[in-house]
Amino acid sequence: MIPLLATVGWSDSKHGKHLVWIPLFLVWLVLLPLGAVLFPLMFVVGLGVRVNALRLYGVGWQILSSLRKMVIEVEDAEATFVLSVR
Amino acid sequence: MNENRKQILEMLAAGKITADEAERLIAAMEHEPGAAAAGDGTAKPRAKYLHVTVDAESYPGKPPTKVNIRVPMQLLRSGVRLAGLIPLQARTHVEEAMRQKGIDIDLSQIRPENLEEIVDQLQDITVDVDDDKAKVRVYAE
Repeated sequence: MIPLLATVGWSDSKHGKHLVWIPLFLVWLVLLPLGAVLFPLMFVVGLGVRVNALRLYGVGWQILSSLRKMVIEVEDAEATFVLSVR
Repeated sequence: MNENRKQILEMLAAGKITADEAERLIAAMEHEPGAAAAGDGTAKPRAKYLHVTVDAESYPGKPPTKVNIRVPMQLLRSGVRLAGLIPLQARTHVEEAMRQKGIDIDLSQIRPENLEEIVDQLQDITVDVDDDKAKVRVYAE
């Protein structure tokens, strides 16, 4: 399943801690009509370069789905940054 | 003795299959990757994440900079499938460019199954780099 939520947190000595929740499901809802509109164009381009547009969408979906539970943390002496995809 | 092998021998004893057929079945079973491990019940659980951790010196007297990245292994597998979508024309260009650098490679010979196998083998990988200024660790868990 594609990730529905991401959290981004950062902190430093000057500005304190911050945490932002990004509702990815809203991002996908916005991108869905764009994807649908672009599909015919990608289908035609795919025919030209011999790439199956359906397969491309399928692989794209798999890549998005596999982003779940990805975590990136960077911790410095003066600042920290955390990205978590759920 | 694993369950599959036992079943084959029981069928042989009951006369349901000949000795030749039993031998072929056992050989086929042994060639299946993970079949022996599954039968023994000692199969190693598949690693779910690839971890990259870096501890690097920052400024003298300050705590080290730490980087911790956890990437789902499924992302690597999906990326491998993306490589399978490279059009033939682009593949030819890539091969030509690599040949000019002295790397003679035929990308059409690389199958998605080969790349999947490489990703599967990553679960046994552990890379430890210990320097004066940084420690890097890559492992699958």
